[in-house]
Amino acid sequence: MLRLRLLPWEYGVRNLFRRPTRSALTLAGLTTVVLLVFIVVAVIRGLEASLAVSGDPNVVLVYGMNAGTDIENSAIPARTAALLSASVENVDHRFGVTFVSPELYIGSRIETADRGSPALGIVRGVTTTAPLLRKQVEIVDGKWPGPGEIAVGRLVAAKLGCSPEELATGSSVKFDGREWKVSGRFSASGAAFESEIWCNLPDLQQALKRQDYSLVAVGVKDPKSAADVVMFAKEQKSLELQAVRETDYYASLQKHYQPVRMLGWIVVGLVAGAGVFAGLNTMYGAVVGRVRELSTLQAVGFRRRSIVVSLIQEGALLSIAGSLVAAAIALVFVNGTAVRFTMGAFALKVDSMGILVGCGTGALLGVLGAMPPSIKALRYSIVEGLKAV
Amino acid sequence: MSLRETIAAIVVAAGLFATGCGTSSTDAAASSESGANIDGRKYLLSHEPEGAVGVIRARQMAGDDDELVVVGRIGGGVAPWIEGRAAFVLVDPSSGITADEACDEECNCHSDELADATAVIKFVDAQGKVLAVDARRLLGVKELEMIVVKGRAKRDESGNLSVLASGIYVRR
Repeated sequence: MLRLRLLPWEYGVRNLFRRPTRSALTLAGLTTVVLLVFIVVAVIRGLEASLAVSGDPNVVLVYGMNAGTDIENSAIPARTAALLSASVENVDHRFGVTFVSPELYIGSRIETADRGSPALGIVRGVTTTAPLLRKQVEIVDGKWPGPGEIAVGRLVAAKLGCSPEELATGSSVKFDGREWKVSGRFSASGAAFESEIWCNLPDLQQALKRQDYSLVAVGVKDPKSAADVVMFAKEQKSLELQAVRETDYYASLQKHYQPVRMLGWIVVGLVAGAGVFAGLNTMYGAVVGRVRELSTLQAVGFRRRSIVVSLIQEGALLSIAGSLVAAAIALVFVNGTAVRFTMGAFALKVDSMGILVGCGTGALLGVLGAMPPSIKALRYSIVEGLKAV
Repeated sequence: MSLRETIAAIVVAAGLFATGCGTSSTDAAASSESGANIDGRKYLLSHEPEGAVGVIRARQMAGDDDELVVVGRIGGGVAPWIEGRAAFVLVDPSSGITADEACDEECNCHSDELADATAVIKFVDAQGKVLAVDARRLLGVKELEMIVVKGRAKRDESGNLSVLASGIYVRR
């Protein structure tokens, strides 16, 4: 008596194929909505991931006190690197190399061979110590830059808005009044370095006619030893330094982009809301046209709840199928796509969280979208329903 | 397609997507602070030491390794503390540059003044190493508190002053 007799599962599945055009259109609509959700979540997750993987807890950035969080504006005396090596305890030291990396970090207008107008890019002058601290950096093509040469990150082309061929190994670019030859390309596991151009520090200093550095990155033996570098910066008041753990630095940048992330999640909500209304509209059309069929089901003994469950099943099947199609499209065409932003570029990331949010939203669209029209259709009396044309 | 087959297909597809794109992260377990068992009471003085001078005066007169009693306020920026170390920045009592001011280390409105009016106070062990425990925890001190510190001056070539402290008196 209490047990609900459900309609056969195959009934709902067959119904979808009985009206192929309508089902296909609904599927396309749901797929589009879920794909939009995937894209927005991929932007948020890509930006988060880019900043999250850029920091190493064993690396401390020492830069100018007056620069705020903008290292491009920092200028610190060149003797800072030597002082750090000599004065700070627990600086990592292996095979005769002290893990202290003086760097010049600037924004510059880069001109590629095929582009008439230069585009704003990020250049980092480094020494051979830099890859010891930035362990994600890996040369994937060509070699480490020699004099007058540069190595370009995987996302530099996206940042400059040019084709990757223009930055191929062996090609040349112009910035700061000099021509630089591309000696190789590097990747950095999605870190912010991927949108940077690296060159030899003395070359960049010479081109810019600068003797100072923007920052000194210090590798310490363990994350707790970062406090020793912070203490050094506070003691050296005359140098006007500040020291920040690299992870904290990128966390502060993440905080900076908090409004963008919030906006992204609001867009996800709005797109999902629009999707629910679109789904409702389609399902109303689909269900209202089947009033006679639904009344017949009631007449042969199926309870209203069973019929509602069957209609929700149809909606859920369509939306889940749409979600999976959208996920496949997102993984193939959206995942890894480079996007430019103020600090450089980052790759869109369709990860497990994105899949969960996208598919969850899709499934919810199907269930929520099918519920109200199903309930409404079953408010008709059986006799009226059977007479309906 | 039966119900069982449909559910199985959905689960397999979702599983493939989830495992294909997943990234895992593990948080390193925080280890206990190495200096957690240090008794801070031995650094707290019951009486205020005599002959205290302000930070500005101390910077002018103290030579390297001189015994010194210095008075000042814990401040000189938004973050006078060195996380995880028994060390902090002390600012001259006459100076208006304290932690509650809008000016922090990200602006240069007082940078020259700041350099002349501050010193780093470090509580060290017998080997002269800074104690690996946060000063707030070790000594129970707070920002803006007026304190008197007894210790040895440490000067560098640029004239920066640090005090290797052996005792602290908090004026309350």
